[in-house]
Amino acid sequence: MKTWQTLRNHPELWDRYFVREHVLRAVRSFFTTEQFHEVETPLLLKSPAAESYLDVFETTLLDRDRKKTPAYLSTSPELALKKLIVAGIGNCYSITKSFRNMETDSHTHNPEFTILEWYRVGATYLSIMDDCKQLLLSINHALGHGDTLTYQGVTFDIAGPWEKITMKEAFQTWAGIDFDEFLDDTKARQIAKEKGYAVEDSNTWEELYDQIFLNEVEPHLGKSKPTIIYEFPGCLAALSKKKANDTRYAERFEWYIGGLELGDCYTELTDWKEQQDRFDFELTEIKRLGKTTYDYDHDFIDALKVGMPDTSGIAVGLDRLIMLCADTTHIADTLFFPSTELFEK
Amino acid sequence: MSSITTSDFKNGIFITFKDQPHQIVEFQRVNPGKGSAFVRTRLKSLTTGKVQEFTYKSGESVEELPVETQEMQYLYPEGDDYVFMNNQTFDQVTVKGSLIGDFVKFLKPNDTYQILMHEEEAVGIRLPKKVRLLVTEATEGAKGNTMSGATKTVTVETGAIISVPLFIKEGELIAIDPETGSYVERA
Repeated sequence: MKTWQTLRNHPELWDRYFVREHVLRAVRSFFTTEQFHEVETPLLLKSPAAESYLDVFETTLLDRDRKKTPAYLSTSPELALKKLIVAGIGNCYSITKSFRNMETDSHTHNPEFTILEWYRVGATYLSIMDDCKQLLLSINHALGHGDTLTYQGVTFDIAGPWEKITMKEAFQTWAGIDFDEFLDDTKARQIAKEKGYAVEDSNTWEELYDQIFLNEVEPHLGKSKPTIIYEFPGCLAALSKKKANDTRYAERFEWYIGGLELGDCYTELTDWKEQQDRFDFELTEIKRLGKTTYDYDHDFIDALKVGMPDTSGIAVGLDRLIMLCADTTHIADTLFFPSTELFEK
Repeated sequence: MSSITTSDFKNGIFITFKDQPHQIVEFQRVNPGKGSAFVRTRLKSLTTGKVQEFTYKSGESVEELPVETQEMQYLYPEGDDYVFMNNQTFDQVTVKGSLIGDFVKFLKPNDTYQILMHEEEAVGIRLPKKVRLLVTEATEGAKGNTMSGATKTVTVETGAIISVPLFIKEGELIAIDPETGSYVERA
């Protein structure tokens, strides 16, 4: 049965879907109070951000003579927002659709989803940790839930102290792994093998790290308190800055409550040369993996050359935040038209 | 045994995990923050009935266990287990309640079921699309309640309690979807 049909028969379900509009309103109100500019960013792009772990949707732009230009659907508003920061907009945010192909067969993904990104100029990721807390509190208050939030039977004290743990501490605590040692490719293979994981020569270090993270670390995150896991390995820096005093780690964090990964934050990389090198590396990876190829956004590198002020920003899966507030484990329960339904076989 | 990869995963198939036979109860794809794809599974141990999670790298190989289906008649419960008999050989097998799961509440003595066998051991039951059971206890639906979708609960012959439309009466046969435990139609 389609969601609209279910709703017609079960009007008591409307409230769960209306959580979305309350959350959207609360997010906008929070950033208005914080004096952030809300901006719209393009969904149709010539060059998406070069990220090899994502699969982009490809389409074609036609001009009046039907001359074709390859075009892509945006995977995140990040590059557009950063260009505006270079232009001098100051603190800003965007609530927009993003598209990531192949993200099906999952309770927490929809190939078309709503992303919230905000950027604080002159801040590091430590300020964004605080933003996450204040934002969630104000959403929770708007929903009439006070300082506590109950998700899947567990009550979280949002106003109380959040758990903050580094990736290194987390690996030590839950996987019994010395992460400094694990950073070495050969050692990592040996450790993963000893733990009983299947390790092939073709496996990348990142795959071994992710598999241990998913099996042994992630299940402990955000169990009784909201958790921030920070200082990611340098090779997973993506668009974040490396730690000044230890470049093996990057200033990046993820945020978890009740098993849901809610957001991914960076102290933003501002060095154009390093950014260009990372894009080049990502494009090589995209080719190696046989995925849809495209050129990186040269305009973004040009913007970084002009100079981006120190900034920190975060991407939050707004649908996940809505799942949390609606106390549901399936993203489809918060969407009137989930992709699974639209593309039902 | 045959080797399969994560792209062959289906709910209900049997695989070897840490040298022990397990059934895939559920699986879904996961992408960690910024990284390649993985497959998170819920695996039920056939020896202990316990369910645990394990996340495979997308494309990783696992051994699928060969399982054959035998038609068997359900005889009686024995503690937490259930005894069935092969209609051809008259061999009796015991199936652990934990491997049958919620379906135990629909088991009806003398009815025939598809039992899954791995090396002489019963490892589960193949759920039929529908089960037909007699309503043994039903209250009258509230008069004047014509709201579409209004329901009441009834008890069927195996003791299970089912939510049904108001027009269902005691003594009627109804079809139930054993996956969800919900009423399908008058049978």
